[in-house]
Amino acid sequence: MYAQGQDGLMNTYRSPWRNRTPRTYALSATIIGFYCLLYFTDVLEPVAQAVKLQNKWYLYGALYCVFMTIGGIYMLRTHGNSRYHKLRITVNILVQIVLGFTLPFVMPFFGGKEFYWSYFWPLKYDYFFPDTLWGLPWYMALYTLLGSLVLTPVLALAFGKRWYCSWVCGCGALANTFGDPWRHMTSSSTASWRFEKYSIHAVLLFILGLTGIMLVDGFGGKQIGWFHELAGQTKWVYGFFVGSVLSGVIGTGVYPVLGPRIWCRNFCPMAAILGITQKAGRFRIAVKPDMCISCGNCTTYCEMGIDVRAYAQQNESFTRASCVGCGMCAHVCPRGVLKLENGALELNTDKAASGQLSIDF
Amino acid sequence: MDIVIIGNGAAGMNAALDVRKRHPDWSITLISEESDHFFSRTALMWIHSGQLSHADTEPLERDVYARLNFRRVRARATGLDTTAKKVLLAGGLEPVPYDRLLVACGSRPRPTPFWSGYGELAGVGHFVTHQDLAWYEKEVHGGPSLAGGPPNAEAHLAATTEDSPYQFRPVAAEKRGRLAKEVAVIGGGLIGIEAVEVAHAAGLHPHFLIREEWFWPMALSKAESTWIAARMAEHGVQVHLEHEIEGLNGADGLVTGVKTNRGDIPADCVVIAIGVVPNTEWLGDAVERDKFGGIVVDEGLRTSAEGVFAAGDCASVRWFNGVQRPEQLWYTARDQGKLAACALMGDAVTYKRGSFYNSAKLFDIEWTQAGLVGFDLEDQEETYLEEQGAVRSTIRVVHRRGEVIGFNLLGRRYDHTVLIRWINERRSPDWVLEHLHEASFDTEFVPALSIAQGGR
Ligand SMILES: Cc1cc2nc3c(=O)[nH]c(=O)nc-3n(C[C@H](O)[C@H](O)[C@H](O)COP(=O)(O)OP(=O)(O)OC[C@H]3O[C@@H](n4cnc5c(N)ncnc54)[C@H](O)[C@@H]3O)c2cc1C
Ligand code: SF4
Ligand code: SF4
Repeated sequence: MYAQGQDGLMNTYRSPWRNRTPRTYALSATIIGFYCLLYFTDVLEPVAQAVKLQNKWYLYGALYCVFMTIGGIYMLRTHGNSRYHKLRITVNILVQIVLGFTLPFVMPFFGGKEFYWSYFWPLKYDYFFPDTLWGLPWYMALYTLLGSLVLTPVLALAFGKRWYCSWVCGCGALANTFGDPWRHMTSSSTASWRFEKYSIHAVLLFILGLTGIMLVDGFGGKQIGWFHELAGQTKWVYGFFVGSVLSGVIGTGVYPVLGPRIWCRNFCPMAAILGITQKAGRFRIAVKPDMCISCGNCTTYCEMGIDVRAYAQQNESFTRASCVGCGMCAHVCPRGVLKLENGALELNTDKAASGQLSIDF
Repeated sequence: MDIVIIGNGAAGMNAALDVRKRHPDWSITLISEESDHFFSRTALMWIHSGQLSHADTEPLERDVYARLNFRRVRARATGLDTTAKKVLLAGGLEPVPYDRLLVACGSRPRPTPFWSGYGELAGVGHFVTHQDLAWYEKEVHGGPSLAGGPPNAEAHLAATTEDSPYQFRPVAAEKRGRLAKEVAVIGGGLIGIEAVEVAHAAGLHPHFLIREEWFWPMALSKAESTWIAARMAEHGVQVHLEHEIEGLNGADGLVTGVKTNRGDIPADCVVIAIGVVPNTEWLGDAVERDKFGGIVVDEGLRTSAEGVFAAGDCASVRWFNGVQRPEQLWYTARDQGKLAACALMGDAVTYKRGSFYNSAKLFDIEWTQAGLVGFDLEDQEETYLEEQGAVRSTIRVVHRRGEVIGFNLLGRRYDHTVLIRWINERRSPDWVLEHLHEASFDTEFVPALSIAQGGR
C-alpha cells in the first residue's frame, strides 16, 4: 500500500512496526528474552553445535552479522540517496563482518588469539585489566593501549566521536542498521537529557574505578586477600550490570520502543570519553542561519534525542557531547539547514537582516 | 499589564516568549482557534505521510503554557472593540480585555473563484490548517497516523463561526465507504506540490492541475520546471499544465471530478491549493487593511488602532521595493513576532527586511533562491547552466548591468547568506560562477560542483 523508496516520504508513524504497539512490545520482549538466554543460560549451545559452530558466541556473532546486514540493506533502501549514509553503513558492515566476526573467530583456528581489533577500553573493559593484557601477544597489547590512549582521542579531536560510534563500533553498527527503523522512538524530552547526563558519567566513574582496582590488583594487590576478593566482586558486578544487562539485554532489547541508542546515549563509558573529547575538537554541526522552518524532522530522527531544531531556530552551530555524527539530521532536513563539519574555521555566513535574534526554549 | 495575542503560531508564540522573558509578572493571554499547542504549519505534509507525529512538529514542550503562565483561550475571535479595548469571541464567550494587543492570525486558503459550498460536496478541501490536514488524512488514509491527532482537536467547535478556516471539511471517504483513489490537486505552488507528494507517498497517482504554462512560474523558469515536472511524472504524478479550472463535478453530495477548459478530470478527493490570503475578514474595519486583506502596519508593526500591533502572515509590511504587502514565510513570521514583542513592551523598533531568500525540496530536488528572481526588471539578463555529472543540478544567475542580483539554484544545497553577500558586494556573473562552490552547503561526500565550461 505505502510507497517507500529512497526519495519518498517516510511513512514511519503509519507502520504498526514502528510505533509503540503490541507488536513492537512483543518484539522487544522477544529480543530481551533472547539476550537473557544467551547471557545467562546455555540453551543456545546445542543450537550452535547443530549448525556446526563452536559455541553460542559464534552463533551470536553469526546472527548479529545477518541482522546487521539485513538492517543495513533496509536502511540504505530508505536513506541510500545520502552519500554519507551509503559510505558509512557500508564501512560499518564491513568492519563488523571482518574485524568483529571473521578475524576474532578465525584466528584461534590458526593458533592465534581471539582478539577484537575494533573494540577498545573502556567499551571492551577488560582490555586494560592486567590479566588480559599479560595474556596478549605484545603487538596486540600495544595496539589496544595505543588504540585507547592515542588513536581514540586523536581521531575524536579531528573528526568527532562519530569516527568510532557511527563508523566502527559494533553497538553503533547494529543500532544504525537493525535498529534504524526505531530511531524516532528516542526521547528528546528535557527529562531524558537530565537522566543521560548523570547516568553516562556514573558508568564512566564506575569503569575508571574498576580499572584502577584491577590495576592495583594486578600489580600486587592480589596478595591481600580481602582486596582481591573485592576486586573480583566489583568486576563481576560491572560485568553483570553494565556488560550484560545494560549493553546487551536492555541496550538492544528496547530498540523497538525506546530507540536504538539507549546504551550509547545513557551508559556507554567509551561514548562518555569520546563525547568529552569531541567537545574540545573540531567536529560540529553547522547551522545555516534563518532558514529553518521548525518542522522537527531533525529532532525527531536524531537517535540521541538532541533537540537539533532548537539550535537551528537560534541560528547556532553546535557540538553536543552525545552527538554520534550519524548525519541523519542533515539528511532529513527538508531545507538543507544542517551540515556536519570537521572545520576549525568559523562558518562563512553573515547574520541575516534580522540581526542578533535568539529564542530561549 | 494585560497582553493579549491572537494566534499561537510562529509570530504569536515567539512574541509571547519574549515578553515573558522580560516581564515575569505581566498577564499574557493567547487566543487560538485552531490548536491547543504551537506547532509548525510548514510540517503538515510530514504528519500526513506519517513521517512526523503532531508532537514532533511542536517546537516547545507541551507544558510551556503552564510553565510560563500563558493563559490559553481556545476560541474564535470575531471582532475587536478598539474603543473599549476588547477582543470579541464566538460562542457567547466573555470578551477579553487588553492593554496591548498583537494580532498574529496568519493566513487562510485563498477563496475559490470557481466554487463555493463546502456543505454541499464532500471530498473537497485545502491543505493549510490542522483541520484541513485531518480532512485530507481521512480521505487518503482513513484517519490520523498511529501517533494520533492533536490533543483536544475539537475543542474550538463550541466557539467558532461557519466561515472559519478552522472548520472540519466533510469527508467523502466516510460517506462512500472507501478511501480516495484519485486525488486531484489544484494549483501549482509549494503547498500544491506538498499535497501531491503526500498523496504519492500514500501509493496514489495524483492529478496535479496547473493553470500556467509550467509548474510554479513565480519561482522557476521553464527549463527548471520541466525537470521538476519530469521528476514528478517519474514518480507517477499526472501533471496537467495549462488547465484552467471551471468548476467541480459532483453526484449524491460527493465530488466526482474537476471541470477544466480541456475537459473533465475524474477525482474522488480534491485539494484546492491556489494560495493563501491574510486571515483577517473577521476584523472588519477595526484596523486598516490593504487590498490583499493584510493588516497595514508601520515599521514599528503598529496598526491603525491604538495599542494594537500585527505580525506574521496577516501583517502587511513595506517591501524593499516600496510595495505594501504581507510576507508569508516562517522566518519572517518568527522575526516579526520577536520584534512585535519589543513593540508590545514599549521599545522603539524598526522592521526592515533584507534580501528575499527561500529554500525547499521539490520531491527530492533541493531548491535555493536568493535576491531578485522573477521580477523582470529592466535590462535584466540571466545566465543558465546545467550540471549533468555525478550530481544533476541547475544554476540560474540573474544579473543587471554586469552585477548579480539574484540566484535560483536546483539540485544542490547552498548557503544563502553567502549568495546574498555576493549580491550586496555587486559581484559580476563570471566572478560568481567561478566562486559558486564556495557557497556550497552540500553534505559530506557529495561530489564538488562541476560546471562544464562553455555551457553558458
Ligand atoms: C502546507 C504549508 C507549507 C508551508 N511551508 C513553508 C515553508 O516551507 N517555508 C516557509 O517559510 N513558510 C511555509 N509556510 C508558511 C508558514 O507556515 C507561515 O508563514 C507561518 O506559519 C505564519 O505564521 P503566523 O504565526 O503568522 O500564522 P499561523 O501559524 O497561521 O497562526 C495563526 C494562528 O492564529 C489563530 N487564529 C487565526 N484566526 C483566529 C481567530 N479569528 N480567532 C482566534 N484565533 C485565530 C490560529 O489558531 C493560529 O494559531 C507553509 C504554509 C503551509 C500551509
Ligand atoms: S545531532 Fe544529528 S548527527 Fe548528531 S546524533 Fe543527532 S541526528 Fe545524528
Ligand atoms: S529538519 Fe531542518 S528545517 Fe526542520 S526543524 Fe530541523 S533544521 Fe529546521
